[in-house]
Amino acid sequence: MFRNILKKGRRLAGLGSLVAALTVAAPTMAQDKEPIVFGGSIPLSGVFAFAGIHIHAGLTDYTSWINSQGGINGHPVEYVMEDTAYEVDRSVAAFKKISGSSSPATYYGDSTGFMKAIASELNSQGNTLMSGASFATALTDNEAYPYQFIPGPNYSQMFGIILEYIASQGKDGDMPNVAFVYSDTEFGKDPIENGKARAAELGIEVVEEIVTKPGSVDVSAEVLKLRRVRPDYVVFHGYVLSPINEFMVQMRQMGLDTQFMGTFWSSDKLIIDKMGADADGYMGVMPYNYYDSEEGGPMLDALRAQAEKSDPEAGYRPTGYMQAWFNAMVWTEVVERTLDAGKELNGDNMAEALASIEDWDTGGIIGIPVTVRDMSFPVGRIWRVNAEEGRYEPVSDWIHLD
Amino acid sequence: MDWLFFGEISLAGLAMGGLYALIALGFVIIYKATRVINFAIGEIMMFAAYLFLAFAGGMEMSPWIALPLAVIGGSILGGVIEKTMIRPMLGESPISVVMVTIGIASILVGLVEFIWTADPQLLPNFLPREPVFIGELYLAPKIAYGFLIGSVLLVIYLLYFRFSRGGVALRATASDQAAAYSMGINVRRVFNMAWVFGSLAASLAGVLVAATGGLSPQFGIIGLSVLVVVIVGGLDSILGALVAGVFIGWLETVAGAYLGGEYRMPATFLVLAVILVIRPYGLFGTHEIERV
Repeated sequence: MFRNILKKGRRLAGLGSLVAALTVAAPTMAQDKEPIVFGGSIPLSGVFAFAGIHIHAGLTDYTSWINSQGGINGHPVEYVMEDTAYEVDRSVAAFKKISGSSSPATYYGDSTGFMKAIASELNSQGNTLMSGASFATALTDNEAYPYQFIPGPNYSQMFGIILEYIASQGKDGDMPNVAFVYSDTEFGKDPIENGKARAAELGIEVVEEIVTKPGSVDVSAEVLKLRRVRPDYVVFHGYVLSPINEFMVQMRQMGLDTQFMGTFWSSDKLIIDKMGADADGYMGVMPYNYYDSEEGGPMLDALRAQAEKSDPEAGYRPTGYMQAWFNAMVWTEVVERTLDAGKELNGDNMAEALASIEDWDTGGIIGIPVTVRDMSFPVGRIWRVNAEEGRYEPVSDWIHLD
Repeated sequence: MDWLFFGEISLAGLAMGGLYALIALGFVIIYKATRVINFAIGEIMMFAAYLFLAFAGGMEMSPWIALPLAVIGGSILGGVIEKTMIRPMLGESPISVVMVTIGIASILVGLVEFIWTADPQLLPNFLPREPVFIGELYLAPKIAYGFLIGSVLLVIYLLYFRFSRGGVALRATASDQAAAYSMGINVRRVFNMAWVFGSLAASLAGVLVAATGGLSPQFGIIGLSVLVVVIVGGLDSILGALVAGVFIGWLETVAGAYLGGEYRMPATFLVLAVILVIRPYGLFGTHEIERV
């Protein structure tokens, strides 16, 4: 136990020194070209630190890997970040500092709040393309956020993928019904209206909507409401772990055979690690292959090799790591396309390059070629927890929304 | 009106309110004896819950050994905080003391993030999982057994404060520190005892609440939401903490069930506003008259 604590402590201390250094520079490269900077407001502390640590590791490892491949068109890559504690004002301050000192071509934003807050400045500067932890539907509004994109499906599209899967399980005249359970936050409410509209289009009845506090203490009253409507499926959104576990355990204790599903941030392996056997059967929509999936591909293999090389003891890498790596992959693709076209690296040109991505092979990170639609990658797959194996297994084909 | 549904959610609310009452008791005992509003009570709860996780999860002890160890650990933490950080503040402005408790809360959050990382956690299951039925009314087992365990501690506390020498010393100090001191009561020891007992109640509540709702370094925020309970009941009233705890738990749950989860907090704050207008010192708090 104490050895474990010390080990974790050492790892955190190592991270701390990285934070203190503030920058993770590219390895020295025999290249004369100007470095391309990936900036980042990264939540290494605060409420989102559980993911922020892995996001940071993913961006750091990708930077090391791309530099080992010769950088981007011969330009070395530098990753410059600051810890934000998941606070919008600190994220904004970090952006101003990094954009003032390092002129980042691309930037990782740690929250929807930050990405909305920084939009006017980003738009007026016009130098940087931004993506990050957010899958907010609002950010796919090209008018308001021309230099921001979503590294996967937005939350409404995730609901769309989930609902398509649910509809595919129905037989003629016997369409399953569904209940939405979401947190009383901007994050939680994001896909609900679009989700209800999509459900209506597919002929799925939304029999109940439950709103809870984000880390709700007790959900037994909400479970009692669900018992009365006996939904075939419950879709969670706006949570990481609790209260998903309590809903699942209590509803199963009541003898309900409801199936449970969640969106990206509710579909990490954390659910399996913490819930154990209770997690069995839980399903999530995930745009990327899991680190421990049986899928392969040149980029997925490179990711695994780099992860193993940078921290051999870390083992499984969570979805935050995969998401960060994919963000950096997209940035690289966009920068390459812009440079190849002989254009200047600015927001307009990079946004144009992003929009040109069509049938892009991600080397196994996503299982099918992907096409950008409205600054997002509307693709995903439904995965189900096999608690005995301790991992998610695919239960649907890849679903690419039009 | 579905009376069965109303009965079930009322029962769930009352049981949850019992746990709120236990946390509120932690606030009140400390305030009553020392006049310090302890804003770190939620983090003490959190720390005890992490201790339980370490003992029952990491060290794989029996939960029934880990539970008292964690609760004792939390109460020792309270005692140490009082002796090392609060006592030197005696005589200082109440705002300064409050700021110290806020600082302690921050330190405890940093400490648990350092030791246990920022990952959300679930405590090992230690409460029975069979559904509990009272007549036809269903009650979630964790809430039911959590309420039972919390109630046992509440009864022990009430008996202790009513009949024991320590309890009488605490009540005497709360009534008049100077008179208690002149009667030979070791007031400093009473202060320390209040922090130990207050933290003990909060620690038990911390483990029971975390067993239901999960645990993370942000868990301590629950302590602040229970501040509403304490203000409604009266900052210096044990009876107020118990009554208001149960009432607010019931109100939150019923409001959540009938109006939607987003109305839980507005409902409780509405009650708080009304109570503050009618009885600014809380339902059962002492109405202090200051003569100048």
